[in-house]
Amino acid sequence: MAFDLTDILLSVLKIAIILGIWLNITPIMVWVERRGSALIQDRPGPNRVGPFGLLQSFADALKFIMKEDIVPAQAHRWLYTLAPTFGLFPALTTIAVVPWGRGFLIPEMTVFGRRLFEGGRWFEPVIADVSAGILVVFALASLSVYGITIAGWASSNKYSMFGAIRASAQMISYELALTLAAVSVLLAAGSLKLTDVVAYQTGYFVLFDAVKLPAWNIFSPAMWLSFLVFSISGFAETNRLPFDFAEAEAELVAGYHTEYSSMKFALFFMAEYMAMGTMAALVTTLYLGGWDIPWYNEPATFLGFLLSFLAFLAKWSFLMFVFVWVRWTIPRLKYDILMRIGWKFFLPLAIVNIVIVAAFIAARWI
Amino acid sequence: MAAEFAIFFLFAAIAVIFALVVVLHRNPVVGALSLVASFFALAVMYVLLDAPFLAALQVIVYAGAIMVLFLFVIMLLNLQRAPEPPTRPIQQFLGYTSSAFFGIGLVYFIVKYAVTGAPTGQFRATAYDIGVRMFEAYIFPFEMVSILLLASIVGALLLSGRSGAGSRARIGDEVTK
Repeated sequence: MAFDLTDILLSVLKIAIILGIWLNITPIMVWVERRGSALIQDRPGPNRVGPFGLLQSFADALKFIMKEDIVPAQAHRWLYTLAPTFGLFPALTTIAVVPWGRGFLIPEMTVFGRRLFEGGRWFEPVIADVSAGILVVFALASLSVYGITIAGWASSNKYSMFGAIRASAQMISYELALTLAAVSVLLAAGSLKLTDVVAYQTGYFVLFDAVKLPAWNIFSPAMWLSFLVFSISGFAETNRLPFDFAEAEAELVAGYHTEYSSMKFALFFMAEYMAMGTMAALVTTLYLGGWDIPWYNEPATFLGFLLSFLAFLAKWSFLMFVFVWVRWTIPRLKYDILMRIGWKFFLPLAIVNIVIVAAFIAARWI
Repeated sequence: MAAEFAIFFLFAAIAVIFALVVVLHRNPVVGALSLVASFFALAVMYVLLDAPFLAALQVIVYAGAIMVLFLFVIMLLNLQRAPEPPTRPIQQFLGYTSSAFFGIGLVYFIVKYAVTGAPTGQFRATAYDIGVRMFEAYIFPFEMVSILLLASIVGALLLSGRSGAGSRARIGDEVTK
């Protein structure tokens, strides 16, 4: 493994871009969530701090920092303090394997008399394009359950404990449906790498020799079940309404983070929004063609990269809004219904879809 | 290579230290979490061996699934710190010596068979290679293991289910009653 300085600097640049976006998800999404809920419930929402209440999130962040940081006397001090970081670590790292734009060739250039990128250099807009690909996402995401479980246990509070138990049972159950639904896509793409999954979706479906549809998985009849299972399980996996039993405020005060205050609570908050962001990025990549712009062949230049990056951002932002939209539209389910859906409907449906995709591949339709 | 050595020794140390914490710490929850950390350090070893697929599986299966269930059971049982029953010195002595002998034997056989006799050549552990091996050469043992696991699940359900018709509680009963 030979690295030169240019490679390392390019990697640092990619990490800086993604980290910058990722850390800003929470303030932006808090604003979207509050204004969106206001829109849906026909009320003004936050509109005092800055234009359209845009600076409300900064006021909230300031409030979090100024609050007193309380550790309950009965709590397990070490684990109570570590739990929020357990939650944040997977949320921050999973995005590393998701491609967010078309790769392009950086041309050789001369800056201040120094030759940079000799002979041109390929820039692939993904932090780590490992061969295990999406498995890395599932591996790290499967660790996020520890943050919630440990938080609930270490707080020595029965509400927290109930929230933690519900959350871990829910996340383990839906992880299976989620993974099996993704298998359909991987089967068709023939690779675990998310860059290959996107490349697979860049062509066209031609209907009746007349209509050209982009070859996104969502337009392929073989993937409809899988898309349905994956996106709905995504809500359960990120503990969002209508599946937010981890914190069901009507029953459990605030669930696993009942005892948390100040920045420790803010870390859970950030982890939740980042997990949402990862889930939206995964749905975009697996089913909505990733960075592909329909009916347009992106050139392998900086312009093509920029356009494809904007296309990815547009699809991703829409899905993030869907998360908010659903939260304020559909009421919370009952816990036993959640478990029944997960094990008796989604898991079998995901397996059925794998068989369907396998049949399509055997018949050479895809 | 120097960087790989440094990473290896760092994560080997982490794996060993957390494995010791699993055995020595009194709190079972801390023990379970330390085991997760140890598994995670082990996954880094797979990455160093150029087998990211195995590393991902290690984290998904052991850290992400099995240990979550362990932790779940420990937390549900809410184990109290029971006073240790008094042990005789001979029991302690036997325990330490037998585990020491076991450890020495393990190291001896690993050195004898695995390290000196490691196969040379390309080490391939991609999803494709493992899949082809598992579903062609080893399909029979693979299916046998799955049937064995299914049988054990059915057996556990049978043993834990309350006897007598109609007395089995269903999820949601306490809500509807």
